[in-house]
Formats: sequence, C-alpha cells, structure tokens
Amino acid sequence: MSESPGPLPLRVATVADDADRAALERIARDELGALDDLYERYKTMAYSIAYRITNDATLAEDVVQEAFLGVWRNATRYVEGRGSVKTWLLSIVHHRAIDAVRRRRATVDLPERDDAPPPALRLPDVWGDVASNLDADEVRAALASLSDVQREALELAYFGGLTQTEIAERTGTPLGTVKSRMRLGLLAMREMLSP
Amino acid sequence: MTDPRLPGGQPGGLTCDEVRDLAASFVLGALTEAEMDAVRAHLADCPETHDEFAELGSVVPALDAAVPLMEPPSGLRDRIMAAAAADLDTRRLTGLAPVATPAPPQQTGPAPAPTPTARPIPIETARRRSWTWVAGIAAVLAIVLLGAWNLSLQGQLSAAQTYQRQVAAVLDAASQPGALTAVLAPPSGQGPNGLAAVTSDGAMRIAMRDLAPTSGDEVYEAWMILPNTPPAPVGGFTVGSDGSGFIEAGGVPAQPGLVLALTREPRPGMTAPSGDPVSVGTTTSTATSTS
Repeated sequence: MSESPGPLPLRVATVADDADRAALERIARDELGALDDLYERYKTMAYSIAYRITNDATLAEDVVQEAFLGVWRNATRYVEGRGSVKTWLLSIVHHRAIDAVRRRRATVDLPERDDAPPPALRLPDVWGDVASNLDADEVRAALASLSDVQREALELAYFGGLTQTEIAERTGTPLGTVKSRMRLGLLAMREMLSP
Repeated sequence: MTDPRLPGGQPGGLTCDEVRDLAASFVLGALTEAEMDAVRAHLADCPETHDEFAELGSVVPALDAAVPLMEPPSGLRDRIMAAAAADLDTRRLTGLAPVATPAPPQQTGPAPAPTPTARPIPIETARRRSWTWVAGIAAVLAIVLLGAWNLSLQGQLSAAQTYQRQVAAVLDAASQPGALTAVLAPPSGQGPNGLAAVTSDGAMRIAMRDLAPTSGDEVYEAWMILPNTPPAPVGGFTVGSDGSGFIEAGGVPAQPGLVLALTREPRPGMTAPSGDPVSVGTTTSTATSTS
C-alpha cells in the first residue's frame, strides 16, 4: 500500500462550523444559553449515536448528559485544528457510549451468536437527514459498497464496542482476517467518499 | 511519566509494522485500553509519520451518518441544563475552576489532516443569561455550600457532610424528568431551611438544616397543602444535635404550586398542624426558563 491516497481532504469551514465554534467560545465563558444552543443543534445526532451503541434509552440519556456536561466543563480544551466542534462532540458521545457498553458487558455475558447476522448490522432502511457536511447518500452508498463481513466488522467495532479480539471470537474468524476486514472496509469507504 | 519504550527499544513496545497492523482497530476504538496506550506511545515517539492513521481515521466520523435518527426525550434537555447550572453555581460560589472531569477524548484516532495552527479557545469574562430556574438551583447550592462553609468553620464538618449527602439525594430526585423542586425557608427569615424535590411519580424528598433538635416524642412533621385543601401529613422525623433532617415519602402530587411546610409537633401521627410552620416552600418546575 505504498500508493496511499492519504486522508480525506479537509472540509471547507461552513456557517455551521462557525456557529459551533462561537457557541463553544460562549460555553467557555460560562454562558448556559450557548450550551442550550449546542444541545438543540446536536441532540438528535448525539442521542441517536448513544442509543445505537447502547440500545438502551436510559443509558443513552445518561451518555448524552455526560457528554454535554463534558463539553460544558472542558470547552477550553477543544483544539480548533483537530476537527470540527461537531466531530469533537460526537466523538465524546461515542467514547462515553462505548465505555458504558463495555462496563455493562463486564457483568453480562455476551449472547450466543446466531448464524444470521444480527438485525442491527443490516443497513438501516430509513436514513434520516444528516445534519452535517457529510452527504447521507454518499455515506449510504459507501457502506452499501462494503461486503457484509466488512460492514459487520466495522459495526461490531464502532457501534458494538467490541475489541478486535472479541470480534474474532464473536464471529469465529481469525484475528488477522478481522483486522483486514476493518482496514479494507475503511479504505473502501474512504475511496467512495473522496471527491 | 513512564518511558514508553520497552527494553526492546521500540516506541510503545511495538514495531512500526505492528502499529500499522493495529491502525484500523485503533481508529475504530477496537483495542483494549492497554493496546490503545501502546499505540499512542508509539505514535508519540516514532520518527515515522504513520499517515495510515489519518488516512483511516478520517473515515470514522462518516460512520455516524449511518445511525437511524431518534429524538431524545424532552426531559433530557432540562436535566442537562440543570446539571450545568449547578456546576456553574458551584464554581461561582467557590471561585473554583470547572469541576475536574476526565478530558473528553479527541477523535478515536488521529484527526484527519490537522491544520498548521491549533488554537485553544480563550476564556473571557462572561455576560450571563438569566434563567429563572437557575435562581432556584443557585439558592439550593448557596445553602449547601455556604452551609458547609459555616459549619466547617465551627468544627462541624461532619454535620455539613451529612446535610450535603441529603441534599445530593434531593438533587438526584430533582434531576429526573418532570420533577419539581421547592426551596424551604423560614417565614420569619431566620431558622431552618432546605430543599425539596417531588418526582413525577409522586416520590418526595426533603433535606433540612438548622433545625432545633427534637426531644422526647417530638418530631418534625412535613405537610403538603393543595389549594383549598387542609394540610395533609406527609411524614415525620426526629433531629439530633447536627440540626439536619431528611424525609422521603410517596404519594405526593407533582403539581406546581404545591406548598410544603414543616412544623414541630409534640408527637408523631398528628393529623393537623399544632402550630405555625418553621419552614415553607412552594414547588416549581425546573424546566421553565427565560433567555
């Protein structure tokens, strides 16, 4: 893979990005209204991600609350050059949701794997609006372009909170194959999403 | 700071090939914490650029677009804002920096194509919005924090801690969707005060401080008073030398405007107050705000 095409190009800053940064600056000045603004803007995405990962409404609420309080208390730690506010916020949601799932899993045995792929791993039938610069149709096409096993590996990792070793055990697949599926799946998506 | 290099001399104890092999799992968060740390240590020390991390990591945020959208419950916003307001008032009253929390994670993997400049947001003096419900929470926190301060000056920190734990239990109830809160204060301006919360399912908690100790059969009795209705007893409790009291009861209507009152009674089981209340409050919703 010496002919690496590199990361996706930087997005052009949008009006939404500017508004998000302004909101974060106001949060850093302890303006509660700014937190309210940011919540209104991203509550649906944040809750959807949290619910998708936890599959538990109460836990998803806790995750979203923790995430927004994390933003409230750590707004000054946001570094502009490392991604948009939205990406930062949603990565916090994702991180906390995975933590919650892993804590829960520590006390609950994983269910036996069915031969059929779990319903959650199938592509969603309904695609909502994506409040971001990412084009939902493009993302859908990129995911649809993956093989079932690649998509399964990405979903189990990113939304299931499983480690590569756990994915290998869960799917009865050699670890090297799991790593390969994840890598090739990401590369295929990058290829599809590149301009 | 531990040296990330193991005796073998490889940053993070991993070779570059091993790190490349873990790149996809890393950006997806599909490694154990120990493995994540080892990769981070390698990336921090390795002279190679490891562009594969940015290459693979730049795709990860796109996965969020695959999530079916769901609206959060309406009460979640109120809980978040109440918690943030409480955090803010704690800082205002104590003059402290934000309550320490684990640093929010940066992106799962290295960020896509970082720009040359990375500028933290400056902190400036704030112009605050006014929130009516913030005032209620502020009053509560003022009671907790100033109460703790005074008591600790008098060498009674344990009493303050007891009261704080009780207030924490009340705030826990107050944070539930649809919950109502009331600040109880003495009608005369001097005397016992505290906080009450009533959840949507009728559970009520009251935490009080500065109560005169009870003796013999004496109790403090809590009463709920609905419009055009005589006071109904909710429950009673005794008070020791620390002056704090706590009661938890059910069957209380979560109705804004409900008056909660506390009286000192000669014995338990009174069906009507025998004297004037020592502290009174009215329930309000925590969801009402102005901007």
